Amino acid sequence: MLRYIGQRFLQYLLIIFIANSLTFLLPRIIPGDPIQEALQTKAAAAGHQNVDIQAWVAEYNAKFGLDQPLWKQYLNYWGNMLRLDFGYSLFDFPATVMSKITAAIPWTLGFMTMAIIIAFVVGTILGALLAWPNSPRFLQGAVPLLMVISAIPFYLFGLALIFIFGVELHILPTGGGADPTLIMRWDWNTLGNILQHAILPAFALVLYGIGSWALGMRATLVTVLGEDYITFAQAKGLPDRQVFTRYGVRNALLPQVTGLAISFGLILGSGVLIESIFNYPGIGSLIFAAINSKDYFVINGTVAIMVFTASTALLIVDLIYPLIDPRIRFGK
Amino acid sequence: MASQKRGLLRDPRINPSLIFGVVVIILMILVGIVGPMLLNEKLARVGAVEPNMPPSAQNVFGTDSQGRDVFTTLIMAIPPTLRVGVIAGVISVSLGLALGLIAGFFGGWADSLIRTFSDVLMAIPSLAFMILVVARMDRPNILVVAVIVGFLTWSGTARGIRSMVLSIRERSYTAVARANGETEVEVLFREVMPNLLPLMLASFIGAVTMGIYTVMALEVLGLGSNVIPTLGMMIFWSQRFSAVLRGMYWWWSPPIVVIALIFIGLFFLSFGLDRFINPAIPIKRGRSRIKLPTQPTAPDTAIDPRDAIMEVRNLRVVYETPAGLVKAVDDVSFSLRPGERMGLIGESGSGKTTMATAMMRLSRPPAYVAGGRVLLEGRDLFNIPDRELNKLRLKEIALMPQAAMNSLNPVVRVGPQFKDAIVAHLGRLPDNQLNEMVAQALTKVGLKPDVARNFPHQLSGGMKQRVVMAIATILNPKVIIADEPTSALDVVVQQQVMQTLGRLQKELAAAVILIGHDMGLITQFADTIGVLYAGKLVERGDVQTVLDNPLHPYSRLLIDSLPTLDGKHDLVGIPGLPPELLHLPNGCAFHPRCPFAMERCRTETPVLQTPLAGRQVSCHLYPEHTQLPPLTIGIDSSSAVIEVASSMGA
Ligand SMILES: Nc1ncnc2c1ncn2[C@@H]1O[C@H](COP(=O)(O)OP(=O)(O)O)[C@@H](O)[C@H]1O
Ligand code: SF4
Ligand SMILES: [Mg+2]
Repeated sequence: MLRYIGQRFLQYLLIIFIANSLTFLLPRIIPGDPIQEALQTKAAAAGHQNVDIQAWVAEYNAKFGLDQPLWKQYLNYWGNMLRLDFGYSLFDFPATVMSKITAAIPWTLGFMTMAIIIAFVVGTILGALLAWPNSPRFLQGAVPLLMVISAIPFYLFGLALIFIFGVELHILPTGGGADPTLIMRWDWNTLGNILQHAILPAFALVLYGIGSWALGMRATLVTVLGEDYITFAQAKGLPDRQVFTRYGVRNALLPQVTGLAISFGLILGSGVLIESIFNYPGIGSLIFAAINSKDYFVINGTVAIMVFTASTALLIVDLIYPLIDPRIRFGK
Repeated sequence: MASQKRGLLRDPRINPSLIFGVVVIILMILVGIVGPMLLNEKLARVGAVEPNMPPSAQNVFGTDSQGRDVFTTLIMAIPPTLRVGVIAGVISVSLGLALGLIAGFFGGWADSLIRTFSDVLMAIPSLAFMILVVARMDRPNILVVAVIVGFLTWSGTARGIRSMVLSIRERSYTAVARANGETEVEVLFREVMPNLLPLMLASFIGAVTMGIYTVMALEVLGLGSNVIPTLGMMIFWSQRFSAVLRGMYWWWSPPIVVIALIFIGLFFLSFGLDRFINPAIPIKRGRSRIKLPTQPTAPDTAIDPRDAIMEVRNLRVVYETPAGLVKAVDDVSFSLRPGERMGLIGESGSGKTTMATAMMRLSRPPAYVAGGRVLLEGRDLFNIPDRELNKLRLKEIALMPQAAMNSLNPVVRVGPQFKDAIVAHLGRLPDNQLNEMVAQALTKVGLKPDVARNFPHQLSGGMKQRVVMAIATILNPKVIIADEPTSALDVVVQQQVMQTLGRLQKELAAAVILIGHDMGLITQFADTIGVLYAGKLVERGDVQTVLDNPLHPYSRLLIDSLPTLDGKHDLVGIPGLPPELLHLPNGCAFHPRCPFAMERCRTETPVLQTPLAGRQVSCHLYPEHTQLPPLTIGIDSSSAVIEVASSMGA
């Protein structure tokens, strides 16, 4: 058990190390100068054409330590990472990258958590029903439908949802996180408004999520139902329902729960597209805006946070797995 | 393999979702190739037509805000979108194949290095990573992006290929090929490659999907190239000009439909390919089903039903496999007296497990009971409602499955697995009474009562086998079927388990059918014996008389293969290979290996007959003879010998 934890932990450190080194290194070996591009964009946006871009760039480079040798930058990068300090926004200067990220994270966490949980619960139950040998025949007709909705890139549902519910029916807002005129307070009005804005983006995710959770559960359960312990359970004369739940579903839930934990780990990154489609003020829109204003430091910081949370989540999954699967808890 | 000869299109693994996927993708490719030839590509350039026009005869899908004809742009956008996927797919699969083969064949540090690296790749959120990289490019180049996606996605392929190589290497036919003097490389190409193809195809489809998806996502985020129209760019442009909010449905919806079709096609394709990769996935879903013919195929064989506790009559079980119908149990009849210890012996693959499962009415697709009856104290198990059947299982007839190692629910402690069985039959009992019953049952099989608190994986193989025995006997069944209870255990534990089984049988006075492939173990335990060959019962009689005077040539060879008294195992095996049930020889299935084979054995199938009182045999030598003639042909023990006594159970 202790050895297991130790092993996982080392592996995790390795993953974090390599992933972050790649995050540092890859952009730097690709030609191009982010600062110059950003300042050019900024200058153009402000209407200045003939400022001395080079002097400006050199000043910025010095300020952000980009004129130092690569190894020193690399050490700095790690130092900054550990302090969660990603520097300043290039485009929006005195604001720090971290302040922008902290402002965006609650939005993303809120609607994504809602969407993930709903999709997981509904999808898993549906998948279990689909694998149940006694389930009604018509339910099987849902399988191709689920395959279709889990195949389509889900942000595309977003466009259709905006069109139907926002543009044609006018019953839900077409984008944003809350009404621009709303004064944020801790009251029902604010909460209701925020929820209203979260419905459509969350719905797009839920639709897709139900499809993939259901298909996953169905596939695992079908495999589990072929296991020898199912045969023996039947040979014991247990009622079908008990064999199905206590022996089948119980075992098939393990991979599902792992998947759930992993999708929580990927929570910051997986809503990027849907947020940018809905102009939802989370991490996704932050990165979308940064891309289009060439605010490279914001991009870098956001990606680093995503990589960091994803690999941390993997570690946590590995560490809590023994709690749900006794084979590991008491194994080696 | 027979299935390959039957033509690809007749392969039963071909399924609707595969066909649908192939059709959609081919359609897309055709449109992508033919479309641009027929259209005026200039209409897809900015400012070519009047902007913001709804659909009309001239512009079927209207025009966008930058003055492109939407329909032309849409068709022109298909080829570059697909191309991106193909590039990513080719790179990803080539890398995955190479690394997977290296990991599988060389193992060791190469394997761990590759695995660590693929773990890292899997832990990196690839889209976020791509954003980082592409945002640095002066002018995003989608082909470069496709290449990077290929480099990021090989790990799934490599894992699949690696485990497949390992499992194929373990399989016996590779061992046989190696014994025939083939080199590793020859084996690789002849045996491994055909099995890898479907996997590689599926990985390719996966990487293509991933490639198209990633590039499209980058484009929608604004990291695409503004020069070449792609489906992703069409979405980006329509978003930038607020096409949805402005009600320009003709602009944003066509690319969505085409994108959806591409992804749906790819998804169904890979879903359909799964059938080729995991042939174990049951083609037909469902629980135990019995497909009894409306009319009995043969009259009930005359068997002596006098005080039989259990009777099996003309039992037939088939497997519906892609390659054809496998008759795994073919017209087997016998009866069992109360308290009888019957040994059922046969080579692995002769149908023992299939028969045991069918006797509990537990056959599962692709296995079907195709005929016959199983009577337990006169009740036809195939002809009673599920509820009643469940009452009989365990209480009257119990099964110790062959796979005792995997017969316990891995996530539930041992105790509750006893208790749910007791409760299902006796109703809710007070906890202390249940605990007492479990403790007693465990003690009876020689285990400590606190084993009940363990999880199955904490127990050794022998202990698991004992737990299974304890569960199977807890309600004092009248018939116990023990399917190779010792085959996975080492010799010392084997003996202990057999002693325990013998003691339990005495205490319960239950009839036991002991299934095995080891003549020595069986004859030590059993009073009577049944010999199964290629799904047929070929001989039945008392152990001692069969040992002294075997009637069937196959039984004779089995007995000759027993270790001699001085404990030395003399290597007289049975020449020839066990038959493949799919391609059974005509006539008597044993004739290619039988030293007594006559002309009629090749054409006529022998039936079970009773040449002597209390003896049954299925062989053309009878009733002319009263015992087996002396063996005239010597057995060439140097030929490919399949040792029954030492061969592994299946
Ligand atoms: N899942 C299956 N699909 C197709 N054929 C099978 C399957 N399982 C068993 N068979 C066939 O049934 C025969 C008997 O198998 P089995 O009853 O397990 O033999 P035994 O227990 O005597 O080793 C095998 O030779 C094989 O041809
Ligand atoms: S029927 Fe013929 S081939 Fe078959 S066992 Fe008897 S003698 Fe041998
Ligand atoms: Mg078997």
